[in-house]
Amino acid sequence: MLNDLQLNNILEDFDIAYWKINLLTKEITWSDHFEALVGTPPAEESLFEHFINNVLHKDYRYDYRVAFENLTLGSENLNQEIRLKLKNDKFRWFECRNLKRKDSNNIETAVLLFVNIHQSKRDQYTIEENFFYYRETAEMTTTGGWYIDITTKSIYWDDVTKKILDCPKDFNPDYDKRLQFYASEHQEQANSIFEKCENYGIPFKTELKMVTLYGREFWVQATGKPVYNEEQQIIGIRGVLQNIDENKSNELNLQNSLDIIAAQNSRLFNFAHVVSHNLRSHSSNLSLVVQLLNEAKNSQDKIDLIENVEDISVNLDAAISRLNDMVSHQNLLKKERTLVSFKQSLDIVISSVSSLINRESAKIISEFKALKEISYIPEYLESILLNLITNAIRYKQPGRVPVIFIQTYSVNDQNFMEISDNGIGIDLDQYGDKMFGMYKTFHSNPDAKGIGLFITKNQVETMGGSISVTSTVNIGTTFKIKF
Amino acid sequence: MGQKMELACIIDDDKIYVNLVRKIIEIKKLSENLLIFKNGLEALDYFKIILTNMTEEKLPDIIFLDLNMPVMDGWEFLGEFIKIKNQFDKKITLYVVSSSIDPRDLERAKSFNLVTDYLIKPIELKKFEKIFDRVASVA
Repeated sequence: MLNDLQLNNILEDFDIAYWKINLLTKEITWSDHFEALVGTPPAEESLFEHFINNVLHKDYRYDYRVAFENLTLGSENLNQEIRLKLKNDKFRWFECRNLKRKDSNNIETAVLLFVNIHQSKRDQYTIEENFFYYRETAEMTTTGGWYIDITTKSIYWDDVTKKILDCPKDFNPDYDKRLQFYASEHQEQANSIFEKCENYGIPFKTELKMVTLYGREFWVQATGKPVYNEEQQIIGIRGVLQNIDENKSNELNLQNSLDIIAAQNSRLFNFAHVVSHNLRSHSSNLSLVVQLLNEAKNSQDKIDLIENVEDISVNLDAAISRLNDMVSHQNLLKKERTLVSFKQSLDIVISSVSSLINRESAKIISEFKALKEISYIPEYLESILLNLITNAIRYKQPGRVPVIFIQTYSVNDQNFMEISDNGIGIDLDQYGDKMFGMYKTFHSNPDAKGIGLFITKNQVETMGGSISVTSTVNIGTTFKIKF
Repeated sequence: MGQKMELACIIDDDKIYVNLVRKIIEIKKLSENLLIFKNGLEALDYFKIILTNMTEEKLPDIIFLDLNMPVMDGWEFLGEFIKIKNQFDKKITLYVVSSSIDPRDLERAKSFNLVTDYLIKPIELKKFEKIFDRVASVA
């Protein structure tokens, strides 16, 4: 057994403070080092009471007092982590435990060691705190971690990844089926980035569409980096994936809204331009008449000019009523979608233009078996049918009985309507881009007003669809509407 | 006022406007003759016939071209006319005349070398006289 001096030296050398307690007299002696740490105690107070009240943090007073009494009553163990106030008034973490007695000699003396564990305690807290923040961040941002071990061809997912992918906590991802968690159109891309990372160590950060265990598709941002061993060989890929479905769909919606607004803005611009042009052409004629009236030499000249004023007035009236038509078509926008039957809509249209159909003996054949009805604004569908049918009859091939074939169908959940005629057709190379513009007429037909197809395109697009045209001169024209 | 112009040409589908311009030309004695086409295609056909017959005296000194017309509008006419224009020896002055005040139309018209100016309807009588006067004195 070491004597006190030897023990003291060792304890001092290792920066350990201790108490020596005489179990018989309950007398406590502080080592020099302990006193150096917490300061010299006042002579008038008991050392233990001073320690409890002034040195020990109040949270540990009760437990420590109990443990200390047990020790003096012969208990084998005292082992506590406590906080002590040092001379500089700062609290530090210490581990306090008694020196085990190797033999039964000297049982009247106990030694309590105070080991400074502040740094390790703080590290432990930092780790716990970091882990807490990591968990919270992962939960809040739905960011999951994953690791692919290339050497064993196995995959590790953390709980958040499993949650993101609708997998139970005990789910074990199968390396060979890993691509099944990517949307079919993104599997190739996913495979390629993983292979590049595995073979060449190229990290990735990309947006992909994934599929949960239950087949729900959603957008993630996937980030991955290669993991090297000491020989600088790639042994795995580590990364995170974040559910950004909400952001992505917001982004897509925003883009969609932007497109709609841009399209509407351009239509409005076009409309304003047309309005300005149409009204100006009449007002400028009127102005010319006034100028000529001032120059007119005799009353006959003046009377001739007044006739022009009448013509201008009639034309202006017609222009304004055409503009009104257009505006009222736009106003239908406020109406709501309902389930509309193609057959019923067509019947309404046919009866409203029966005189034109009868005059030209036009034949209208319809084929609605594949797609009988659609969720649409009924007035729009009727207007679209009306415009395309009257167009087809108006631009018939002279001498040929106009035949109009109307067909509806759906491909991959996408609904279509095609309206074909055997009319004069149109040279699309020359006029294709202008077909749907306002006031574009391509034939010297006096009936042509040039707003029909503009309105049709407008209505189709307002409902979120698109319209395209194919045509062969002297053979006929087909309009295809994607709803 | 200087000498009178031989032949002026209007390409415009607005009958009232054409009538009024015709009156102005008559009253002010701005041109001996007047050619009128109601769209670009009719005018283009006429110029092509002149090319094949080599009868240059039937070429106008000045063309007033509208933009918005059915069948072939002013832009398409310009695109076609530019291809055949150099085959004529005669200098033809061309004005675009439109009621459009859209700056995009103005820019586009000015991008054609053969367009002397872009005139916005209505054109004042005095402006008409000035234009005819200038072209006639050059011719």
